Amino acid sequence: MSPKAKVEIAEEHLAKAREELDGDLRDAVQWVFASLEAAIDALAAEERILIDQQHWKRTDAAKELYEKGILPSDVSTLHKELNFLRKAIFYDGEELEQEGFSVEGAVAEVETVVGIVSERAS
Amino acid sequence: MTTLVRTWHQPAPTRAGFTELRPPDLELWKSRLSLDRKRAACHQSGALADITRAIEARSKELGAAALILTGSTARNRRTRVSDLDYYVVGAKPDIGGLPSEIDLYGDEPNAFLAKLFKGDDFAHWALRYGCILFDTDVLRQASITVIEQDLWPDPERKLRQAKRAIGFSQKVAATGDYGAFLEASRGAFTLAARWWLLSHDVFPLARDELAQQLRETDQRGLATAVEGSIHRRPSVAALSTWLAQASRLTSS
Repeated sequence: MSPKAKVEIAEEHLAKAREELDGDLRDAVQWVFASLEAAIDALAAEERILIDQQHWKRTDAAKELYEKGILPSDVSTLHKELNFLRKAIFYDGEELEQEGFSVEGAVAEVETVVGIVSERAS
Repeated sequence: MTTLVRTWHQPAPTRAGFTELRPPDLELWKSRLSLDRKRAACHQSGALADITRAIEARSKELGAAALILTGSTARNRRTRVSDLDYYVVGAKPDIGGLPSEIDLYGDEPNAFLAKLFKGDDFAHWALRYGCILFDTDVLRQASITVIEQDLWPDPERKLRQAKRAIGFSQKVAATGDYGAFLEASRGAFTLAARWWLLSHDVFPLARDELAQQLRETDQRGLATAVEGSIHRRPSVAALSTWLAQASRLTSS
């Protein structure tokens, strides 16, 4: 596995999430979560926010990035919801139970974040 | 006159472990709740105990029927990758304002019971090994049902989850995202381990205890994979090899 920039990883994971919107929504959740994590990692590294491979630190970082004006909206709640949902799918469930949660909406929100990361990297 | 004091003890992690216990009456259940309180107190740092107190207060305020501290904290086997897991039966409180590493699962009492009948191993785990923080009798009644009806988690359900997780992990391998690959692989090995143990009449304990349980059931290959993915940062090649082995094992 060659080392890849987080921005590239975020973009590729997002592309897979988009593909799965017409396929398996459970996989779409996994990919969109992975994309958001990579995007947060990229921005956090620039801002010297410590992530330490911990999901909950990424949730906190998402909030901090919003408060610093780097992200236009606070995606910490989305990150936490996706983390919970993808674990429920991966470990516990065979079906996607998404009461009040839109995977398409999540992909759209993450697209915005990844767009910002891509722009800063270019 | 001699008074016989009956105390709860945790069930052995075997097929017969829970059913060997007598269906708990109120006195025996009181003993369990007391034991679980002590375990919860011993297994949490001050900061974790503060979070638990807040979740307990919010759950009671909403009229929840029961609250269980579950997962590695309940077993005193926290690792660097552990979350702080709770299972609430009844109304699920808002965890806003609390630290982010909390996972709060929730079911209404009937749904919780249905999961036990369906063979959901997480619900069974919580009932057997979780630290019950309070219970309005729904968990005691559930325990009686599990014991009397000899309910056991469904290994086939775990097998389906393991196969799916292995397949997904193999897709992640190709992306160049080592962190996501390691985590997905760890999850897949854990699921495969739980399937293997359940199908050998062993109840899987906390994630960090699985390797030892696997060795005791003569499954050293999967034990190496579980342990390596929790405590080390194996190479991509090693993870891929272990995934291929897990795939063969779950397909045989």
